[in-house]
Amino acid sequence: MDVKARDFIPVAQVALSDPALRAAVKRATDTAAQKRLATMFWAGRTHGEALRQQAAQARRRALRDLPALLEQAEAAMTANGIQVLWAADGDEVRRLVLDIAARHEVRRAVKSKSMISEEVALNHALQAHDIDVLETDLGEFIVQLSGETPSHIVTPVIHKSKETIRDLFVRELDMPPTDDAEAMTQFARGHLRRAFLEADMGISGGNFIIAETGALCLVTNEGNGRMVTSLPRVHVALVGIEKVIATVEDYATLTQILPRSSTGQTMTVYTQMIHGPRGADDDGPEHVYVILVDNGRSDIYPTDYAEALACIRCGACLNACPVYEATGGHAYGWVYSGPIGAVITPLLTGLENASPLPHASSLCGLCKEVCPVDIDLPRMLLDLRHDLDEAGHTPPVWKWGIRGWAMVARSPRLFGLAARAAGLGGRFLPPRPPLPPPLNGWTRTRDLPELAPKSFRQLWAERQKAGKRDD
Amino acid sequence: MTSRETILSKLHAARQPFAGLPPAGDMIPVVPADDTSPAALRVRFVAAAEALNCTVTACPDADAAIRHILGLVGTDSTILSWDLKHVPLPGLGAALAAAGIAIAAAGDAHVRAGLTGVDAALAATGSLLLASGPGKPRGASLLPEVHIAVVAAGQIVPDLETWLAAQRAAGLEHLRRLNSVVMISGPSRTADIAMETVMGVHGPGAVQIVLVGES
Repeated sequence: MDVKARDFIPVAQVALSDPALRAAVKRATDTAAQKRLATMFWAGRTHGEALRQQAAQARRRALRDLPALLEQAEAAMTANGIQVLWAADGDEVRRLVLDIAARHEVRRAVKSKSMISEEVALNHALQAHDIDVLETDLGEFIVQLSGETPSHIVTPVIHKSKETIRDLFVRELDMPPTDDAEAMTQFARGHLRRAFLEADMGISGGNFIIAETGALCLVTNEGNGRMVTSLPRVHVALVGIEKVIATVEDYATLTQILPRSSTGQTMTVYTQMIHGPRGADDDGPEHVYVILVDNGRSDIYPTDYAEALACIRCGACLNACPVYEATGGHAYGWVYSGPIGAVITPLLTGLENASPLPHASSLCGLCKEVCPVDIDLPRMLLDLRHDLDEAGHTPPVWKWGIRGWAMVARSPRLFGLAARAAGLGGRFLPPRPPLPPPLNGWTRTRDLPELAPKSFRQLWAERQKAGKRDD
Repeated sequence: MTSRETILSKLHAARQPFAGLPPAGDMIPVVPADDTSPAALRVRFVAAAEALNCTVTACPDADAAIRHILGLVGTDSTILSWDLKHVPLPGLGAALAAAGIAIAAAGDAHVRAGLTGVDAALAATGSLLLASGPGKPRGASLLPEVHIAVVAAGQIVPDLETWLAAQRAAGLEHLRRLNSVVMISGPSRTADIAMETVMGVHGPGAVQIVLVGES
């Protein structure tokens, strides 16, 4: 997928002036955030927080031991009958999937949600080789039909109204017109059911790989994940190298904390552990491939941003973020949106390609607070701003402004003078004055606070004098 | 160098992150519970499964359960099913045959109802845990519109943690031989269209749990 994160501001501005979109995103994120609170903390704050720390440690221990766990996982999966492949980048992922498709004479593929496949634009590559590929998560199916990109990790069509989806189904699939979400869903079920049965290959992502048992773990609510991994002859899973975890005990914590943080469910409807292809007298795929995908992750691993690799893609930070709520997901310009997108898009695609994203945050800290694995997103956003500055991405106006501020704030005499000048100036200014350029962007949508006629330091000095007289 | 070697050597060479972490200690369960008596487990399982929009019907014995299942199948002439030796209801095969109900080939996607047993039921979350294997096709709990799951009261365990602890005690080799393990928590569902919850998008839209026996 092309990176369009540099256009954050213009795209966000379009989203900001779309009240229907803002209302839809706000409703969806508020609902998810409330449900999260109810299921994460139903046994009390203390228990919920302890659980978060348990999950956080499980993910960090896995990252600490990542290379050894990857080797262990590879050996275990291979022993289970899963064919394990490694891909350094998007080119290699596409080539490997095309090779598998060619080997098994695949004409039709069905996909359940895989963020990595979006990273590497797998669908285009398959279609270019005359392989039909159909998204089967209802939201992703709608995204694919409309030729768009997902706007939320978990609920990809958060931005689309029911009427838009109805018109799309009528136009593209000859659906008899209906405004009933259930009837629309049933229509899609019929359409996709045929695709599942005809497909030669199923493509999925992976939520976790358990190193000690070689289990590929998936969660889906709709059941498309089970269809994709059960019905076609061949199953290919694309899994980031960071997804490996150590033990079944860690799995128990993580696979239960994921839906609680994501949709506020206690369990995702279908929570799967896949250990291998079909056995004798069994149904399921004849061949299971797991492609372990790097695509930039090993570059993050040795840096101070390694924590970002602990992410379990629940979307809680999106649902909590005031910026995401206002702009929706498309403004972030790549696969991942919200606070985690603002951190990993620059890291995976290059700082220069995503320079606005680390600034797309008020640093309110809610993203860290809601994160089920306690990733310090605000810290990394600040560090990325620092990196952007070092790399020369700070506009000169900001630089001079901040330098000027630093000079004034570091000198008590200058600070006093500035405060006095502001107090004096305030008397002559009209109420709520607009600031002159380049600061006018700030006052365009906000009121400048009224300046006190006397500064704190003046008041303090006067009080001290008055106090001495009283003695 | 292959990509495998490139990736692994890069990771091995890197400064190890989070080096100061404490070793994994005792873990707390995601859903804490004090009372794990069979009676309490049963109450919790039923409440949790019903909260997930499953229908739970308690049957005192196999005969009652079989009558209930025949009612659920209704006038259908075929069902998808696990091999009945994996469904803890003696006499079920004869009853189905007597009612003229045949078991369709695994993978038949045009059958309305699917019948399975379970490998365990999780009280904490109301989940049904099913492992695939010979005579236990995945399709029976996935393809039909209605999934009928027979749960013996003694199959209810407190939670996923407990079930996995039992697997570890038995040796994880056994778990690894189960090609597919799925925990089913309610009917297939989506809220992708305008946040409206709809059941039965790809998998069954109804899960009928037949709970057999006293706890």
